[in-house]
Amino acid sequence: MGLNPESRARFNLERASVLLLEDSTMGMSILVQILTGFGVKTLHRCENVEEAQATVQKVELDLVIADALGASGEGYDFIKWLRQSRIEPNCFAPVLLTAGHTPRDAVSKARDCGAHFIMAKPLTPITVLERILWISKEGRRFVECDTYMGPDRRFKNEGVPPGTVGRRRDDLPAVVGEAETPNMDQDVIDGLMKTRRVEL
Amino acid sequence: MSAVRIHIPPVRLAKLLRTPGGLPVAEAVQRAGAGLESLKGECLTELQSVLDSAEGCAARVGAAYDPALLDELYAIVATPIGIPSVCGLASVDTALISLSDLLDYLKGQQRWDANAVAVHLRAFRLLLHTEGAADAAGTQAILAGLRKVSQRYARPETAAE
Repeated sequence: MGLNPESRARFNLERASVLLLEDSTMGMSILVQILTGFGVKTLHRCENVEEAQATVQKVELDLVIADALGASGEGYDFIKWLRQSRIEPNCFAPVLLTAGHTPRDAVSKARDCGAHFIMAKPLTPITVLERILWISKEGRRFVECDTYMGPDRRFKNEGVPPGTVGRRRDDLPAVVGEAETPNMDQDVIDGLMKTRRVEL
Repeated sequence: MSAVRIHIPPVRLAKLLRTPGGLPVAEAVQRAGAGLESLKGECLTELQSVLDSAEGCAARVGAAYDPALLDELYAIVATPIGIPSVCGLASVDTALISLSDLLDYLKGQQRWDANAVAVHLRAFRLLLHTEGAADAAGTQAILAGLRKVSQRYARPETAAE
């Protein structure tokens, strides 16, 4: 990441339909100021989960920015509901989750709710924009299984988590075993690297 | 192992972002910053009200652990996190985060420490009213002290007696 705040690169959010879920009046004002500054014209402001669910059912959304909504973590439950609602295309919408403070007993809930990114407050315009641009990238894999529905949480392939064997069919063991076939001949390797003229 | 479906859904937002027009990053960030600047006065009023509510709530807690009041105090101080930075009072945000950590740890251990909470609230008042005049080193020393206080309860085995 690392978006330069002086960048002249352009982006267009004028036609984006954005749902904001935030129960604090000042928190909502902060989000509104940031997003209108970015040029967003269609904001669906929701003060509670019920309003947000009703909005999801009647409006097509391009982006969801939801707060965790305090210790109760109702914001996490809303994101989980959104993902499992099967209301397309909203259930696949990019989701930014904001949280002022995450209690220890809500950490796994936050991790597993299906948000694309969790942003700790205080929010600054440059970090919010950076995250919006990041989560909107095309080609992001979406995982659906019994226990989780949301974006693929593995951003980098650093192997399976330490001490585990991995849960995916294509997970490779952390320890590389002995070679099962003879090493390639050096000439063959050189041949792979050599520049060749090709006919197009 | 449960059945897993992995697919790549279309992202309309990506296409919208690329449509002609819009704003340069620098201008968007500047516009958003100006919008936040306009909220400064409201934010300061809100923080004063948060401080009054927090002090009132803490005063109602006796010497013993009271889960309902602790939850109430947690909600009062955790909800406004993010607001102080809008008024240029990032140190108040740090103090609120430290206090929220402390209350979360105390709740986990079903304990109450009136002094630890009181020192956070006094720091909140001090930072809210005097930060403009205070030196940066003094502010950092206050925040480091708060962090030490809240971290005493971070792990049950090392909790303060």
